[in-house]
Amino acid sequence: MRKTDRYRYLLVLVGLVVLHFTVRERLGGDRIAPDFLLLALLIYTIRAQPGRSAAAGFVIGLLRDALTPASFGAGALAHTLVGYLSSWAKAVFFAENVFVNGWLFFAGTWLRNLVVLLASGRLAGAQLGWELLVWSPLQSLTTAAVGIGVLWLFSGWLAIRRGDA
Amino acid sequence: MALGADRYASRADTLLFLGCVGLSVAAMSLPDNWRDPIAQGLRQTVLAPFLALQQQTELLSAARAHYDAVVAQRDSAALAATFLPELRNENGRLRSLLGLGVRLAWGYVPAEVLHQPEPTNPLTFVVSAGRRNGVRPLSPVVSPEGLVGVVATVDAKTSVVLTWAHPEFRVSAIAADGSVSGIVAPHGAAGPEVWLLELQGVPFRQQVPEGTVILTSGLGGVFPRGIPIGRVVGLGGEAKGWERTYLIRPAIHPAALSHVMILTAARGSGSDLRGAFQSDSVGP
Repeated sequence: MRKTDRYRYLLVLVGLVVLHFTVRERLGGDRIAPDFLLLALLIYTIRAQPGRSAAAGFVIGLLRDALTPASFGAGALAHTLVGYLSSWAKAVFFAENVFVNGWLFFAGTWLRNLVVLLASGRLAGAQLGWELLVWSPLQSLTTAAVGIGVLWLFSGWLAIRRGDA
Repeated sequence: MALGADRYASRADTLLFLGCVGLSVAAMSLPDNWRDPIAQGLRQTVLAPFLALQQQTELLSAARAHYDAVVAQRDSAALAATFLPELRNENGRLRSLLGLGVRLAWGYVPAEVLHQPEPTNPLTFVVSAGRRNGVRPLSPVVSPEGLVGVVATVDAKTSVVLTWAHPEFRVSAIAADGSVSGIVAPHGAAGPEVWLLELQGVPFRQQVPEGTVILTSGLGGVFPRGIPIGRVVGLGGEAKGWERTYLIRPAIHPAALSHVMILTAARGSGSDLRGAFQSDSVGP
């Protein structure tokens, strides 16, 4: 792996973080707009070891909890689980196909929302059902679509198949 | 290069994962007086540039949305500049664009809502005004439609708003005609009436007709009197023949907000903001 590859890889991740705080609100409502920050984490987990992925998830989750104190800690837990499981699943399932990655983005987003909702305990009943069966799948779908697009556009930069991260 | 068995979780990975899970659970268990300073510190340091970026994007978006109006105003201003008497009214015309701001007249701070994608965002959200703008904890937060919530935590440049949907939110309320008073709280998270409020503590002998507008009563010293909360949509329940609870459709849903106004100045006990809000702000 060349040094420039690593910088390009970081550039894509930083770009996703910037997109999260700039254009995301213009891509639909909060509930369905793609989650670029989570996408950056999931793309990071493609190359990173599960432990580092869990740590990255924890940091991102904690930062997000600072922005939504109603569920403080729940985001950290959710992102930790998603980061670890995503990295582990990549190793186990040997996912090279872009659509398998898309499915991983979809499942990761939905799982994140599930854990946040359950761990925060703020929603229940019909409201929980709507969030998990309607809004979360929609957000997962948009996030996965953007993720597939990013992988397709930057496949050379991301060099998804690596074992040295 | 293929992903192989070397990518499976090692013992170090597992320990790191368990450590992060433990820290997350610890964060969830923190009491408010520990949790708030941590969240506040993160917002003021690591997240500050990102929140500033988001705020600037919001401003840019609003600027683009109003571009045509601004161009029209500029043309009007250029035309008006040829007529000196018109200039005297210029400030008044521009102020009229502020809508609610003009009606409130003083003691408020406008702020952008910095939405986040988490499902719990409608319960608490961050706004782009903080201590430097005069915002204090427990400052009421309103929109042209009515009550939004109350400021829970204040940072230098941002604040956290606890909306009416949050389970801990309470406000003293009164019917628009003054006939009934009670406490308004979120109705709860379960059942078909989600995202509704409920008026609690209404004496059993008093009936509240459907469609009655409910306002803040001004009791308690947090919310001024006269802010629309919502409109009664039906009976929510009865407590053993001595109390009734009524369901209220809120004036505005937090997720629908892009901008809010934070009331920063304490108003006198006799003040009534009813005239500041549109009479039809609480839908039919």
